[in-house]
Amino acid sequence: MFQAKNIVKSFNGIEVLKGVDLSVKTGEVIAILGPSGSGKTTLLRSLNLLEKPEQGEIIVGNKLINVNKTNQQDILELRKRTSMVFQHYNLFKHKTILQNVTEALIVVQKKTKKEAVKIAISELEKVGLGDKLDQYPSQLSGGQQQRAGIARALAINPEIILFDEPTASLDPELVGEVLEVMLKIANQGVTMVVVTHEMEFAKHVADKVVFMDQGKVIEEGTPHEIFNYPKQERTKKFLQKVSPDYIFKLKEQRQLQHTL
Amino acid sequence: MNLDIPFIGVALQAMVKVIPLTILMTILPIIFGLLIAIVISFIQIRHIKFMEPLSHFYTSFFRSTPAILHIMLIYLGLPALIKLVADLMYISVDPNKIPVVVFVIMALSLTAGAYLIEIIRSGIISVDHGQIEAAYSTGMTHKEVFQRILLPQAIDIAFPNFTNLLIGFLHTTSIASIIAVPEITGTANIVAADNYSFLEAFIAAGIIYWILSLIIEYIQSIAEKRRSVYKEEF
Repeated sequence: MFQAKNIVKSFNGIEVLKGVDLSVKTGEVIAILGPSGSGKTTLLRSLNLLEKPEQGEIIVGNKLINVNKTNQQDILELRKRTSMVFQHYNLFKHKTILQNVTEALIVVQKKTKKEAVKIAISELEKVGLGDKLDQYPSQLSGGQQQRAGIARALAINPEIILFDEPTASLDPELVGEVLEVMLKIANQGVTMVVVTHEMEFAKHVADKVVFMDQGKVIEEGTPHEIFNYPKQERTKKFLQKVSPDYIFKLKEQRQLQHTL
Repeated sequence: MNLDIPFIGVALQAMVKVIPLTILMTILPIIFGLLIAIVISFIQIRHIKFMEPLSHFYTSFFRSTPAILHIMLIYLGLPALIKLVADLMYISVDPNKIPVVVFVIMALSLTAGAYLIEIIRSGIISVDHGQIEAAYSTGMTHKEVFQRILLPQAIDIAFPNFTNLLIGFLHTTSIASIIAVPEITGTANIVAADNYSFLEAFIAAGIIYWILSLIIEYIQSIAEKRRSVYKEEF
């Protein structure tokens, strides 16, 4: 169980999150959709306090954190129980793929090197990088780097993994291998919150879709509800714009007018 | 002008003996300076109260005054200070028994620290912020992120500047000769004074400084190859 209540955050006096609630059940996959600037990435980054909101509460398991009265201890505990996958992978460039995964296990979880390596190898094999252990991030493709990033997030065995547009900076042909890994871990019951522009992923993998705009949650529901029967005008407009049908219809209309 | 070529060989022999002392006077200030610089970088990144303005005063002073002045201030000032404190505490200490080299190493450590802070700082700002966030997101403390992720990469990026400073400091040790430390330049003066062959002695000194600098550059090139493994993306 992971919950965020009434999260308010502003940058330079402009409110980018205007009291957002989000609740995630254990094992659930939540996709957050919305136009650029809707605050979805800021929301995600507020969930592990990489961004510090001005107001709100975060509940992870049985622990309640009031973001106004956080101390260093609270922040560290929250971060130990969550992990994050970044748009630009953010692998440690001076460490091998294996060391990238063992780093937090050794430094934060105080595991022995042997234990850490064992866990890391098994996670890296899961994402299909068992043969890249001693390579450096710069020697890997974007898709491989992102899969390593996912292995790093999985290895610490968090209660929830936060994905920040994990496929947004990948070459189109590399998107598939990353989504495949995400689907695999979703099927294993890992709790996930995914900020994404991959509509198909949201449609087919998510248990719940949250649509955000202008710092607010506009609408949430099952993928079926959101994609087929959106209630809010703003959601309808957004889905229309991201679906190719809309463009083709325009073209047909124009051709029709032309012939008339 | 007649050059006493064989005397160059004689001078070289005398100076080879003081190479260890010269290297000690180069390496120790760099090591102590690096420790000073690492601590101060952390203070400046974390904006630690009271310490931060103090650290700015330190860097400003030591970067704005010549190394010879630092040596003189420590060499002349520190014994007097030690004597004063010892007298106040009724302990009898004779600061004259402290070898002069110790004062030189202390002074140059402070000089090196001030320059190394800037070198490390330029390395730190080149490490991309995403990695720092990734490290924080796993639950690392500020100190762990600094030690494990930020500093190793900052030092790597700053490495070429660092070896430049090392070569610079090898040459800076020569000013210790003015307070009679028998390092390479000091020894050149001493051997030359015997028969007034100053030019020959300094040609010999030049050869030694040159070779030592070439060795440092060679070590740098080997180290650069090692780190080029992950450097491609920088």
